[in-house]
Amino acid sequence: MIAQGELDGVPVLLSPAPGLMRAGLVFRVGFADEPLARHGITHLLEHLVLYPLGLSDYHFNGTTGVEHTSFHMQGSPDDVARFLTGVCASLQDLPVHRLDVEKELLRTEANGRGDGAMDAMPLWRHGARDYGMSSYPEFGLPAITADELRAWAARYFTRDNAVLWIAGDHVPAGLRLPLPSGRREPLPVPSSALPVTPAFFPGPPGVVAWNATVPRHPASQVFADLLEREMYRALRQEAGLSYTAGSSYREVGADAAMVVAVADALPEKQEAVFGGLIDVLTTMQVGRIDQADLAVVLRQRGETLWNADQQGTRVAGEAAALLAGRPVRQVEEEIAGIMAVTVGDVAMVAGMARTSGLLMAPEGVDARWAGFQPAPNLSEQVIIGTAHAALSGHDAHLITGDDGVTLVGGDDHLTVRFDACAIVRAWPDGGRLFVGHDGIMVRVEPTLFRNGHQAVAFLDARIPPGLRVDQPARRPDQIPAPQSSGPRPEPPPTRAEKLDARRIRASYVLAVIFGLGIVSRVLQAAGDRYGSDVQLAVLVVLLIGGAIIAGSLIRSRRRRLA
Amino acid sequence: MFDRSDDEVLLVPAAYPEFGVLDAAVDRRDWAGCRAVLDSVPLSGRSMLMRYAAEKPGLEEWLRYLLQADPWDSTASALLGMHLTDVGWNIRTSMRAEYVSPAQFEQFHAWLRRAEAVLIDGAARAPYDPAVWSARLTTARGLQMDAAEERRRYDRLAAADPHHFNGQRQYLNSLLPKWGGSWPQAHAFAREAMMAAPPGAHQGALVAEVHVEQWLDLGAEHEKAAAAHLAGARDSLHEAANRSIWHADFRRDLGWVSVASTFAMLFAEMSDQASAARVFAMLGPMASRWPWSYYDEHDETVMIRRHRRRAASALTGGRR
Repeated sequence: MIAQGELDGVPVLLSPAPGLMRAGLVFRVGFADEPLARHGITHLLEHLVLYPLGLSDYHFNGTTGVEHTSFHMQGSPDDVARFLTGVCASLQDLPVHRLDVEKELLRTEANGRGDGAMDAMPLWRHGARDYGMSSYPEFGLPAITADELRAWAARYFTRDNAVLWIAGDHVPAGLRLPLPSGRREPLPVPSSALPVTPAFFPGPPGVVAWNATVPRHPASQVFADLLEREMYRALRQEAGLSYTAGSSYREVGADAAMVVAVADALPEKQEAVFGGLIDVLTTMQVGRIDQADLAVVLRQRGETLWNADQQGTRVAGEAAALLAGRPVRQVEEEIAGIMAVTVGDVAMVAGMARTSGLLMAPEGVDARWAGFQPAPNLSEQVIIGTAHAALSGHDAHLITGDDGVTLVGGDDHLTVRFDACAIVRAWPDGGRLFVGHDGIMVRVEPTLFRNGHQAVAFLDARIPPGLRVDQPARRPDQIPAPQSSGPRPEPPPTRAEKLDARRIRASYVLAVIFGLGIVSRVLQAAGDRYGSDVQLAVLVVLLIGGAIIAGSLIRSRRRRLA
Repeated sequence: MFDRSDDEVLLVPAAYPEFGVLDAAVDRRDWAGCRAVLDSVPLSGRSMLMRYAAEKPGLEEWLRYLLQADPWDSTASALLGMHLTDVGWNIRTSMRAEYVSPAQFEQFHAWLRRAEAVLIDGAARAPYDPAVWSARLTTARGLQMDAAEERRRYDRLAAADPHHFNGQRQYLNSLLPKWGGSWPQAHAFAREAMMAAPPGAHQGALVAEVHVEQWLDLGAEHEKAAAAHLAGARDSLHEAANRSIWHADFRRDLGWVSVASTFAMLFAEMSDQASAARVFAMLGPMASRWPWSYYDEHDETVMIRRHRRRAASALTGGRR
């Protein structure tokens, strides 16, 4: 039974639970609210807030997620009160003298974590905006100022944008939540970088990953559970193709949810894993779902919910619901919603999932046979402006114009428009990386193009405010040099080479991510959800994938820019 | 001179009365009539009849209409899948890949993807219809899916019908070197399928088929090597014939003519005229285009007559 109350203008959810009291102060802000050019600001803020509380023995932590940021702790009611009141005080008086140190710590934290197998999926689905942010490293950190942090706190960390949950039987006496007033921030509307779905993009070998947007509905949860069951049966038990095969459900935005399915595969079995997944999905879509299987899944989910409620672990999810403007539900109500799901409901969700799917296909699998279209990895548009030929004499050039920048290689082009630009990373030597809202990246290396420094100066003068993020100097060996005595220009690419180029460009995106050691939320999630064995497996797959992709990056850079 | 009746060649599918009935029902767009024939024959024969019927032009609209009315009719989805595949394959032609233009390949793959869409749905609704899996083995090969996906499909076929000769022929094709497999793989699969099937079943022809393919492949470059291969295949072929066409339990049901024809051609080519004559005698006037169609200098019937006469005359000491 979850009871609702209020403290200092903050809604409170109280769920009786055994053991030590646990509590969390949750704010409706996360990565999805950040622009790429300030990506990392919420995480940085969370770290700064906790810094003054850091020398105690409290069992506490903060987490920055896609949609929420929370400060939580387990301990005696007095400890909980002291911690949460401390958090509120710290929010009002950020230790900004720690700014540079915390930025360094965050960079270290990012480097210390691995890379999730599916880190690229948000980028391909959403581009470099809102829900795509999870794919990117915290690119904004170098640019974030103390004033920006204070403004971010004032906008999002208010009593009107917070909910307190407590797994325990009372609100600790002495707990105060002195937060300024503000407004409830709506969940971001997910952007789409996919002109058509179902779509696919090439990923590392050895893993088939798929996600789909579905309605936020109990039937979608049941669909995810049944999908996992069927994948396990078809891919592992019957065909012996995958060691791990699973799926999950998570809510996204105001009214949608995402179902994610992942299966590992030996490189020589990967197309069969994909084929098996498609057959499982289609079987559910046509409604050939065993009533007995459905009954098992409903019962299991019901039991899980009931246990979560008894343990007080359901309340955090209800806090998120409340922040999204939905009513708090009691467990009985939620279980009743699950129990009412029929085979027909699941089939309908499966049909929507089949249509909205995004597949990360292992390299070499052409998913068009199952109706998936290649996700765009090149730009349609070319900027009109001044062309700068590649110094190597290869069939590549850079076009700079008032509207943006285009990199041309053969018949392919990559364009970032200034009015649809998410970030410009700038190095002192003149190197620039433009990232468009659609996730397309244009790397401008002045050393590789005729009048390259003039081109950079021209572009610099036109970068919209707030997008430029200056980077520390690169080592001389990190600055590319043209291959002046290179071979004769390559002949125009054949069709096969163009297809190859698509793959390479995708690898490029991934390679940048791998190379920079992105904070891996997905790996963490894999660990939380499937255990450390899977986490390790994912990591191993990634290391191998990273090496392969790094190889293709080198080739692609030669082809494109040299 | 020889008797006129000896000269008769009745090519399959005309050799099978069921085909005539099916053919007429398709022409009338009489689905109940089609189903009556297809539901009454053994499963592999059903797949074979459907493949023949799928070659008729202009079936798509009708079959799509049928599927719209009853999406669970996997006979209709398999037939439509086979038909779309056939249309695509006619664009590709059966030439070796290096003689097929990129534009042809593009269209070929587009048709096969359309077929796959129908078959994915069919397989989801009727996972135990072997015709659907047999058709999906053909699309998998045309769309150059990897060996593991082909094997997965074959396993699904075998789960539906463990000795489905029609689908086994499709899978065997994908194990050939020209489709990315190898001779040892192909020979091993053929023999394994033959030994697993009951004695007298058609599967012996799978063994013969690999020999035909390898002989053709060698013959393209070295006549002598090809002949040597056949000489070395004698025991294997006799074993396969003894286990199929010459076995007491061999049944002359749908498909048997091409099974026997494959043996007849190989025995004739390796100058085992006694065996060839024995198979020709069994066939009477009946014959299948394959494997005779490979001799592209002549119409199949010319080659069938020539080899039949040669075998007969060798057997009767050169008298005509």
